[in-house]
Amino acid sequence: MVGLTVNGRSFNVDVDASTPLIYVLRNDLALNGPKLGCGTGACGACTVHVDGRAVRSCQTPLSTLRPDARIVTLEGLGTPEKPHPVQAAFVAEQALQCGYCTNGMIMEAAALLAAQPNPTEGQIRQHLNGNLCRCGCQQRVVRAVQKAARGGV
Amino acid sequence: MTIRTEVDLGRRAFAIGAASAVAGLTIGFRWALAQAPQSGPPVPPMIRSNPRLDAWVRIAPDGGITVMTGRVEIGQGMLTVMRQVAADELDVAPERLTLISGDTAQTPNEGVTAGSLAVKLGSTALGLACADARATLIGVAAKAWSVEPGAVKVEDGQMLGPAGQRMSYGEAAGRISLARPVDVAAKRKSPAEQRIIGTSYPRVDIPAKVFGQPVFIHDLRPAGMLFGAIARPPAYAARLVSADLDAIRSRPGVVEVVRDGSFLGVVARREEQAQAAAHALAKAARWDAGAPLFGGQDVFDYLLTAPSETAVVHTAKAEAPPAATTHKAEYRRHFQAHASIGASCALAQWQDGRLTVWSHTQGPFPLRGDLAKGLRVSPEAVRIIHAQGAGCYGHNGADDVALDAALLARAVPGRPVRVHWAHEEEMAWEPWGSAMVTRLAGGISADGTLAHWTHDVWSFPHSTRPGSDAGCNLRSAWYLADPVLPGKAADIPLPTGGAARNAVPIYAAANQTITSHFLSAMPIRTSALRTLGGYFNAVSAEMFIDELAALSGRDPVAFRLANIRDARLGAVLRKAVELAGWVPGVVGKRALAPEMIGTGVGLSRYKNSDAYVAVVAEVSVSTKSGLVTPLRLWSATDTGRAVNPDGVLNQIDGGMVQAASWTLQEAGRWNSGIMTTVDYGSYPIQDFLTTPLMHSVVIDRPEQPSLGAGEGSQAPAGAAIANAVFAATGRRVAEIPLTPDRVLAALKA
Ligand code: FES
Ligand code: FES
Repeated sequence: MVGLTVNGRSFNVDVDASTPLIYVLRNDLALNGPKLGCGTGACGACTVHVDGRAVRSCQTPLSTLRPDARIVTLEGLGTPEKPHPVQAAFVAEQALQCGYCTNGMIMEAAALLAAQPNPTEGQIRQHLNGNLCRCGCQQRVVRAVQKAARGGV
Repeated sequence: MTIRTEVDLGRRAFAIGAASAVAGLTIGFRWALAQAPQSGPPVPPMIRSNPRLDAWVRIAPDGGITVMTGRVEIGQGMLTVMRQVAADELDVAPERLTLISGDTAQTPNEGVTAGSLAVKLGSTALGLACADARATLIGVAAKAWSVEPGAVKVEDGQMLGPAGQRMSYGEAAGRISLARPVDVAAKRKSPAEQRIIGTSYPRVDIPAKVFGQPVFIHDLRPAGMLFGAIARPPAYAARLVSADLDAIRSRPGVVEVVRDGSFLGVVARREEQAQAAAHALAKAARWDAGAPLFGGQDVFDYLLTAPSETAVVHTAKAEAPPAATTHKAEYRRHFQAHASIGASCALAQWQDGRLTVWSHTQGPFPLRGDLAKGLRVSPEAVRIIHAQGAGCYGHNGADDVALDAALLARAVPGRPVRVHWAHEEEMAWEPWGSAMVTRLAGGISADGTLAHWTHDVWSFPHSTRPGSDAGCNLRSAWYLADPVLPGKAADIPLPTGGAARNAVPIYAAANQTITSHFLSAMPIRTSALRTLGGYFNAVSAEMFIDELAALSGRDPVAFRLANIRDARLGAVLRKAVELAGWVPGVVGKRALAPEMIGTGVGLSRYKNSDAYVAVVAEVSVSTKSGLVTPLRLWSATDTGRAVNPDGVLNQIDGGMVQAASWTLQEAGRWNSGIMTTVDYGSYPIQDFLTTPLMHSVVIDRPEQPSLGAGEGSQAPAGAAIANAVFAATGRRVAEIPLTPDRVLAALKA
């Protein structure tokens, strides 16, 4: 049994401690936000927050998490009723096509804005550079992050 | 803010019993109406194959409206467009509609959602059906009130009479039957009457995707679900000699190990257990490697020398003054991949000999047919329900994985089995976009008009999707002990074309000869990648026209304008160069500086019949490293009536980014037996830092029919980038992608 705290709730899961976090979040806890993309740390689709930092859950075996680690997924970031500013901005800017990369974009951008509330466009691009979008929505994503930073939603 | 969620997957996906009852009804009637009389107004193609009105729209006594589309959401906003069209024609709020899409038991058979046809064909049919339904319901109210139909108004599904009478759609629907052929004479609203069509109505699926609600096929978790994974051969031609299945059966979590010929797979309780077991199984198995790809030849040599079907596919002949300047060129394009961010996934369940598959296929009905062939069951025993996947950009592994899941699920009857390929597996095993070679020749008269133009194209197939008459186009079927092989691949003939798509020039050359050299056998399996042959044929033609302009000392924009006859092509070109602030000039060799900036243009009409798009690109070229960086792109698009202008812009910009990636960095490589560029390190795609700034506009033409836009910008964007490199350096890099080594080689030449 491994214990973990996700979106403010505690869970015990009966898995090997070497299991990457993404499988536990998606298949044991039935969370939909983090997506399994490359599985090798190269695309960012699986991004979650651990103690406020954006991490790639496909590269995070449970054994590497501290017992009191606070894990937040897209579902815990905001809700339709109380959206995180980045989520609201993604809706306002229609900043996606298929939406498979969207989780990673939002989680990564939210972590950026928490650390740096007024990033330049170049800083946003730099920060999101490890997040891939095959639909080609990069410009809309940058616009949405700028909008969230301005608080203009 | 208001949140609209498109689908409740959990509920819809497993409400099988009720839905099947409806299914018999809808499908059972199609036969009788297929022979409807052929006089009168033209019958839209999708109505011809799905003539019944209640196959498209149903109205319940409580006024609940359900519309059905065979089109599916592949990340391009199609379901939003369908909702806009239906709501506008029915005069109800879009939110009120229940939309069912891509379910072989419930929706019309519209084949495949691809080729930018969804708006053009799908929404035309659905719009007509909804217009017919509205007119029919108004007719009921008018008759009841003894007034002219024109005197009845509709407000959000409520009909209002001149004397204050009211009747709901539900009540009127109870007095008639929609179980009859669509009246193709029904009148759709004029653009002036439309309120929702033509607006940037927000995508209905976006909020759910932004808040992590269940939307994707990966989010389906039926009780008792197991996970499957395939143990892949080390090469396409490899065959299994032996494998120790028992060793794998004893691994943790493994429920079943399946072998059928060279098809090997594992079913396990956990996803990561299935993957690890399949990996171990593939590695420990003994395989016979098979023959080397292309007989060990370079693919371009192979394309030019292997047997091909050669056919002149288009000619034009006219008197023209003799050519004063002539030119020939050869261009090459490497294999390129769909490279979806999420690999292909399917969920399959067998129950009493019947199979249900949840799939992100582009064509639920064609998939059903090929699955039935591969599994040797009747199509009636198979139901496909569409659920969204990651963007696919054409025929990727979406269909293949459905057979994988079905083959594994057959070993555990009653249990749903999900198979989600790994990214590397997708890259190795999905069909790739074909490597191609083009050779162009042309001549210009002294007055600057084109005297002749020839275009030859060598290509592997661009459409080997499920649904062809012969054989089974699902990969694992070829590896079974008793294999079900694919039929011989056929090319798609012009006017839309596959290998020769967009090979017919948009320029008014007096004499034209277009020749296709089609290689139906494909050592590396190929199929539809967004635009099929269109991207490379149009990029070739645009590179060539720039070279002709340079040779004859003319500005590329002025030269194009002098040689086009279609005013809409001219309009998008003028708009794009105006946005870019184009400075006319003649491209020629320049002294090399460490960093060189250039501006190029690309112009295309997709399929010679869809959206008109012009793009101007500005790039910088490092003459030291050979690296090309796209800096800015300006585009103008004419897609006729834009049903959703923001949706069009999203597609156009997205297509330009994808084209930048194809044009500058993407090339498949292989060893003797299999693709080796299978991860983001060896097959990188566009990232944020190299994405150019984009400024795009849509020229709306409400009076014109809607044209497909989803694949309109790739060719002109790719061409503009290649031509910007030409303008920057005066040297042509004739092989796509324009990687640093190729740029350096061209600079030295
Ligand atoms: S899935 Fe984790 S980085 Fe790609
Ligand atoms: S929206 Fe499809 S991958 Fe980004």
